[in-house]
Amino acid sequence: MIDRSESARFYEGGFGVAAFAKVVFLGMVAVFVLTPLLATALGGFKSLGELRVNPFGLPNQWEWEHYANILGSTRYWRLLLNSTIVATLTVALTLVVASMAAFVFAHVKFFGSAMLLNYLTLGLLFPAATAILPLFIKVRDLGLLDTYFGVILPQVAFSLAMSVLLLRRFFKDLPDELLEAALVDGCSYSNFFRYVTLPLSGPILATVGTITFVHSWNAYLIPLIMLNSDSLYPWPLGVMVYQGEYSTEWHLVLAFITLTILPTILLFLFAQKYIVAGLTAGAVKG
Amino acid sequence: MRVLKKAFLAAAGFVITTGLATAQTTIKWLHIEANPAQVKIWEEVARDFESKTQGVKIEMQYLENEAYKAKAPTLLQSRDRPHIIYSWAGGVLKSQVEAGVLEDITALVQDHKDKLSASAVAAFTINGKVYGLPHSVSQVGFMANKELLGKAGVDAASIKTWDDLLSAVRKLKAAGITPLAVGGADKWPIHFYWTHLAGRIGGRPAFQAALKNEAGGFEAEPFQKAGELFKQLVDLQPFQNGFLGFKSQPAIGHFGDGNAAMILAISSFYHTQKVFAANKTGITDDKLTWIDFPSVPGGKGESSDTLGGINGWLVTKGAPKETVAFLKYFISEDVQKRLAGGNFVIPTFKGAESGLGSAFMRNIAKNVAASKYHQNFWDQDLGPSVGRVVNDSTAELAGGTMTPGAVAKAIQNASRQGN
Amino acid sequence: MLAISDGSRLTSRRWRPRESSGRLTVLLFFLPPALVLFSLFVVMPVGEAAWYSLFNWNGFGSPTKWVGLDNYRFVLENKAFFTAIRNNLLIIAASLLLQLPLALVLAIMLADRFRGAVSLRMVFFMPYILAEIATGLIFSFVYDGNYGLLAGIYRWFGAGDAPHLLANQATAFPAILVVIIWKYFGFHMMLYIAALQSMDRNIVEAARIDGASRWQELRYVVIPTLYPTIRLSVFFAVVGSLQLFDLIMPLTGGGPADSSHTMVSFLYNFGVTRMRVGFGSAVGVILFLVCVTFALTYKRWFMRND
Repeated sequence: MIDRSESARFYEGGFGVAAFAKVVFLGMVAVFVLTPLLATALGGFKSLGELRVNPFGLPNQWEWEHYANILGSTRYWRLLLNSTIVATLTVALTLVVASMAAFVFAHVKFFGSAMLLNYLTLGLLFPAATAILPLFIKVRDLGLLDTYFGVILPQVAFSLAMSVLLLRRFFKDLPDELLEAALVDGCSYSNFFRYVTLPLSGPILATVGTITFVHSWNAYLIPLIMLNSDSLYPWPLGVMVYQGEYSTEWHLVLAFITLTILPTILLFLFAQKYIVAGLTAGAVKG
Repeated sequence: MRVLKKAFLAAAGFVITTGLATAQTTIKWLHIEANPAQVKIWEEVARDFESKTQGVKIEMQYLENEAYKAKAPTLLQSRDRPHIIYSWAGGVLKSQVEAGVLEDITALVQDHKDKLSASAVAAFTINGKVYGLPHSVSQVGFMANKELLGKAGVDAASIKTWDDLLSAVRKLKAAGITPLAVGGADKWPIHFYWTHLAGRIGGRPAFQAALKNEAGGFEAEPFQKAGELFKQLVDLQPFQNGFLGFKSQPAIGHFGDGNAAMILAISSFYHTQKVFAANKTGITDDKLTWIDFPSVPGGKGESSDTLGGINGWLVTKGAPKETVAFLKYFISEDVQKRLAGGNFVIPTFKGAESGLGSAFMRNIAKNVAASKYHQNFWDQDLGPSVGRVVNDSTAELAGGTMTPGAVAKAIQNASRQGN
Repeated sequence: MLAISDGSRLTSRRWRPRESSGRLTVLLFFLPPALVLFSLFVVMPVGEAAWYSLFNWNGFGSPTKWVGLDNYRFVLENKAFFTAIRNNLLIIAASLLLQLPLALVLAIMLADRFRGAVSLRMVFFMPYILAEIATGLIFSFVYDGNYGLLAGIYRWFGAGDAPHLLANQATAFPAILVVIIWKYFGFHMMLYIAALQSMDRNIVEAARIDGASRWQELRYVVIPTLYPTIRLSVFFAVVGSLQLFDLIMPLTGGGPADSSHTMVSFLYNFGVTRMRVGFGSAVGVILFLVCVTFALTYKRWFMRND
C-alpha cells in the first residue's frame, strides 16, 4: 500500500544545495523569531552596565535579584491575579451567554431569526476601538468604571459575534434526529440543551474558550480606558506602568516583561496543539 | 464543569469584596514624583498623619508624568477616583473645575492659606473658590555642566542673550560635545523653548492679548518671531542623537550621565538628574550651574520674568473631609522646611525657603520671588486641548516638519476651537 | 418502530412541538442575554458615536455644544489623520507583499511531517500568542539606540553609534512594520498549513505523474487550491491593520511628530487623552464606515463562493 504521506510531499527534501538552503532559511527565520525573546529573558539577569555592552549574550555575572525582587513583590502577583479573574469571568460569561443564544439560532425557528443573526454578525465587522469613547461613557454611566465588570462586560459583548457563529455551526452539525427524538419523548428544549448539547460540545466550547481567553488575557485598550486604580490593573497595564516608572533601567524592565509573558508562553507550551487549533479554526470557520 | 464554574465565581466574588473599603477612611493620593528619596519623606509624613489622626489610612499611587496627563480625563470621571491629585493649575485646572470634579475647599482652608505665598494660592483659586493648595514652585532655565562647558571654552555666565546661546552651541558642537539634551518624545520639554522665547519677545502683554484673541491672537508678531528664533537653534542640530525618541526621564538621565552640556530644565530636574543617571549620582553640585533663559534684544519681556510651574494638589469631589486636614498637614511649616532642606522643592509656605539647602535652589527661589510675571507652563495654562497643540506643533518645528508660521497658525486655530 | 431517518419527514407532516417543550421559555431566556449585551455594548455605542460626533463635548454631564459636521472637518483637516491612514495602508501593503509570501513559503516547507517540522511551526507561531503590548515593549528594547540589540550589532561591527530608528520620522514606521511581520507571519503560516494538510494529495500526485515540475506543481496546483485561504489571510491582514493600537503605544506612542499613528492610536491620542469626545467619535465613525465597507465589499466580491 502506497504511503500517501510519503508519496505526495509538497516539498521534496533530499540532500543537496536546495535542502541546505532550506535549512539555512528556516534557521534564519528561527533566529529572527527567537533572538528578541531570548535577549529579553537574559537581559533581566544582567546589570544595566553589562546590558549596554553585552545585549545578546549570556550574562557574565548572573544577577538573580532582579527576577527575585519582582517575583517577591505583591505587585506582580496582583497583576496576574487581576488578569486571571477578568479572563476567567469573561470566558465563563461568554460561553454561557453565547451557547444559549447559539442554541436558539441553531434549533428554534422563529420569525426574524435570520435577521437577528445578521445583526449579531455585524459585530465581526468592526473593532471595539471605533466606539471606545461612547463605550467609556456608557460604562461610566452604569457605574462600572474601575470595576472588573467594566472590562468583562464589553469584552464578552465583543466576543459574542464570533462565539455565537462558531457554536451555532457546531450545534447545527449535531444530528437533527437527536433533538427531534428528544422532543417527541417529551424533553424540553432547555433540558436538551443541558443534557445533550452541552456535553457533546466539549471541543467547540474549548475552542471558543481558548480564543476568548487569549484575547482577554492580552487585552490592553479596554482595560486602559476603564480602569484607573492600579490594584485592578491586568498585566498589560501593569507592565506599561512599570516601564514608565523604571524607564531608564532596562534590565529591570526586561525582567518584568519576561515574567509577565511567562504565563502565556508556559500555557502555549503545554497546550500547543489546542491553542493553535483553536485560534486558526476559529479564524477559518468565522 | 458546573462546580468549577461556581467555584470560580465564588472566588472572584470573594476577592472583589475583600478589596472593598473597610471601616476606616482611606485617602487615595495620586502623585507623579519619580524621586524615591522624596517619596520616602512623603510616606513618612503620611504615616505621621495616620498616627495622629483616628481611623485614617493614606494610600499612595504613582503614575509617570506623561501617563498621568493622558489618564487624567478618564481618571476623574470614575467614582473610584483618587482624592488628592497632582496639578499644575492653569487652564487644565479651570476645565476640571468646570467639569465639576473638584471639591471647593475654600471654607476649610481659610485658616491656612494666608500662610502660603499669595500668588501661588491665587493660581489654585478659580472665581474666588479655592480647589487645592500649592506645594512648590519651579523655574524653567538651563541646567548646565560646567565641566563640559569649560572643555568647549564656554563660560556659563556669559550666556545672556539668545545669540550668546547660539554661539555657545556652535562652540560646543565644534568641541564634539552634545550641546543640549531634550526629551523630544514627550514633547513638553521642547515647548519650553518656544514659549519662553515668546515670553521674552512679547512679555505678559502679548500673552494676555493672544488669550483674548486680540491683534491676531497667537499669530501675532511675537509668536512668529519665537518660532523663527527657535528654528535658528534647531538648524544648528544642537540636540542629542535620536532626541525625538527620548522620553523626558531618559533625556534627564542623559544629561546626568554627562553626555550633554546643557538641558532646558524645570528646576526640579536638579534632583531627578541624579535619579535617572546610570550611576545614580549625576552631576555633582560643584559641576552644576544654572543659566537663566537668555533675553532677546528689543523684546518686551523683562529679564526677571520667569516661566515655571506652580505645582500643588487638588481635592476631588466627594473626598473624605480628612483629606483637607492631611493637605494642610502636608503643606505645613515643618514639612515644607524639611523638603526644602533636602532641596526637593521650592516651598510655598512663607518663610520655609530659608531652609533651602543648596545654593542652586536658593538661587531659583530668589528668581521666582523677584519675578513680577511668573508664567505657568503654557501646555497647562492654555488648557488640555490647546496646550497639547502647542506641544505637538513645537515638537514638529524641532523635528523640521513644520514652519514657524505654521506653528503659530496651528496654535491660533486650536485656541479658537477652544477646549 | 418509528424509524425516522430523514428529519424533514417530521416537519413535512407539520409536526409541532408540544407546549411543554418549553420552546417559548427557551426563546425568552436563552436569547435575550446575548442580544442585550451585544446591543448595549457594541451596537448602541456606534449609534452614540454618530450622535456625539456632532457636538464639542468633554465628556462631563451631557453634550451641549452643537457643532454639526465641524468635527469631521477638523478630522479631515488634521495632518496626522492622513498620516494614520497612510500608515494603515502601508501595513496592508507590507502584509500582502512581504508577510503573506513569507508565510506561504514557510507553510509549503513545513506542511509535511519531518523531524523538527512541528517544533519549528510552534516557534514561528509563538509571536502570535504574545500580547501586542508585550511585543511592542520587547521591540522598543531591540530598537533602543543605546541599550538595544540594534545598538549591540553596530557596536560589534565597530560602526559607531546606532541610529535611533524609532526617533526618526523616516524610519520609525518601517521599523514598526518589521515588528508586525514578526508577530503575525506565524498565524498566516498556520492557516496555510491547515489548508495544505487538508488538501487532496491525489491532485498533486496526478500532476506529478503527468510530468509537472515542482515549480509547475506549486504554481498550477497547490497555490490555486490555497486561494480561499489566501483570501481569508488578506481579510485578516486588513482587519488587523485597521485595529492596530497596542503595538504602537510602547514603540513610539504615535511619534516622532505624529508620524507613526494608526487610525486607532490617532483616536486614542487626539480623542481620548484630550477628552474630545465629539472629535474622537467622529474618528470612530469614519473608522467604522471604513471597516464595514471593506468587510461587506470584500465578502461580496472575493469570498462569494467560500
